[in-house]
Amino acid sequence: MAADRSPRAGAGLKPQHQRHILDGRPDVGWFEVHAENYMGAGGPPHRFLERVRALYPVSLHGVGLSIGSAGGLTPGHLGRLGAVAERYQPFLISEHLAWSTHDGVFLNDLLPLPYDDATLALVIRHVDEVQSALGRRILIENPSTYLRFKGEEMEETEFLGALARRSGCGLLLDVNNVVVSAANRGFDPLAYLDAFPVEHVGEIHLAGHAVLQDSDGCLLVDTHDRSVPPEVWDLHRRLIERLGPLPTLIEWDADVPAWPILEAEVAQAESVLRHGDELRAHAA
Amino acid sequence: MPPDMRPLAHAQQSFRRGVLQARLQVPAAVAGLPGPSRERRFSVYRNNVKASLVAALKAKFTVIERLVGEEFFEATALVFVERHPPRSPVLAEYGGGFASFLEVFEPAADLPYLPDVARLEWARHRAFHAADATPVAIDRLATLAADDLHDTRLTLHPATAVAASPWPIVSIWTTNTFDAETRRIGPDHAGEIALITRPQDDVLVNVLPPGSDLLIAALREGRALGTAIGQAPASLDLARTLALLFRAGAVVGLLKGISE
Amino acid sequence: MSNRTTAAALAAAVAAATLMSAGANAQTANADKERCYGISMAGKNDCAATGNNSCAGQSKADYDAKAWKYVAKGSCGTMEVTLKDGMKRKGTLAPM
Repeated sequence: MAADRSPRAGAGLKPQHQRHILDGRPDVGWFEVHAENYMGAGGPPHRFLERVRALYPVSLHGVGLSIGSAGGLTPGHLGRLGAVAERYQPFLISEHLAWSTHDGVFLNDLLPLPYDDATLALVIRHVDEVQSALGRRILIENPSTYLRFKGEEMEETEFLGALARRSGCGLLLDVNNVVVSAANRGFDPLAYLDAFPVEHVGEIHLAGHAVLQDSDGCLLVDTHDRSVPPEVWDLHRRLIERLGPLPTLIEWDADVPAWPILEAEVAQAESVLRHGDELRAHAA
Repeated sequence: MPPDMRPLAHAQQSFRRGVLQARLQVPAAVAGLPGPSRERRFSVYRNNVKASLVAALKAKFTVIERLVGEEFFEATALVFVERHPPRSPVLAEYGGGFASFLEVFEPAADLPYLPDVARLEWARHRAFHAADATPVAIDRLATLAADDLHDTRLTLHPATAVAASPWPIVSIWTTNTFDAETRRIGPDHAGEIALITRPQDDVLVNVLPPGSDLLIAALREGRALGTAIGQAPASLDLARTLALLFRAGAVVGLLKGISE
Repeated sequence: MSNRTTAAALAAAVAAATLMSAGANAQTANADKERCYGISMAGKNDCAATGNNSCAGQSKADYDAKAWKYVAKGSCGTMEVTLKDGMKRKGTLAPM
């Protein structure tokens, strides 16, 4: 993205929207793709992404690197991520504070990590490894979590702050994940955002979640299958007012809606970012 | 592994087991919290993993699902996920073992054609993601002198696959893909050889003449045309096989005059 | 077959194949679904990496080991098979 332009809102790229995007060239700032969906040798997915890339900036969001694996990063996978980055020249590359592979078995979910010193040292080593291999800074995202481990030594915000300081990585702040984890682990989302090392944030994610109610209480699940709820919008607006505009993504990965619905969500995020511009201009 | 990594490795090991195995067993490292139980909390991960992997198989084996019904498919896929979880973070690569699994999956034993139909579906999926290449037209072959033809090797498109079966797998696949109400296929229907190709964006499925799978296997091994036809039965309809191969975009190069 | 006769047979087959293919190349074959079954596959986003709607745990948590009790009841009757016992049966499953 051009340095002289204020950060914009983008959308997750879905094959369902191929025609709308390529023929209509909608006015969205950028698109984000899951890196692992473009690790095949060829075929229509690459043809689509190449055409999108010719029109828009693209951000690469990894979902399979398993940066928190006790057994190390999956051999070969980092090279494949590098190849996708080389091919599509993304303006951002991100991954998750999570693990998904153990003993060679890939579990296709972002599984939680205990926040303690040993885990922190491991994740720093792996982020170093990734940034050296890619030759650039990556962003690490706060995950949605549903449980806590025994004997955790620090809060997630402390963990992410130390990780960013010591590895030099940036952070991807997923506001919906904050809301989901806050409800599930019992903390205040506003206090979390106050404690978050915001100076490292390079991108924001917004999405919707499901509420699972049962007799013993309620769990929020990070489903990405609906529009962004008011609570998440509210936190996003507060963040932008405080930090100024940051690249903001609407994630909608399941029950993907017709393009105009997703585009309207992106437009709403864009209006929050432009509101941030105005505040900045005022202050200056 | 450094000693301070052992607790995490242990936790991940029991997480992996707890997520995949049939019986719900929450890892000891998971703390209790107010509100929802440890079991409910852990089950979110368990179900994310299983439901997403079953969904990934469903997306690739749509005809198998139609053949056996949604409930049976999900139950079958779940057993497959538990016994053969993915080994790669690229989910497009998951499911290659499903056909062989169906061969030994006792509840599906009365549907002996399922594994070969699954092979056809997997070949289509592979073709979709295969490397790109530009097919050559048969006219190029026709310009060669008879003696050169004999020594010509064909380079197959990376997407090209052949699935030969004693069952009419292409007919089964076709009616279950295109027809709202499936056609009945009688027990005496001959087996079929499926040719799967992807000349451009679309994945194509064709029925090849009997014996052509042997010819194509020889071509794939790098044998020249003259040698390869010796590997196929004399009854092979060579003209039709070649016409189909080229028309479907299975061939991307001709290497002339190079001895083996 | 000698090399010579093989070469002659090959040349004849190629000539015949070229005739059959006149006017039909890989591109036009796409539209010809009767002879050349091609359907567009949507690119799939295979990586879930987030929850998904069926993760609502409660409902499907437990299909687990009871798999074999399910009976195939899709369109498997589309293909009649002759089993080893010589009886013709529809391809449906009896509960185990």
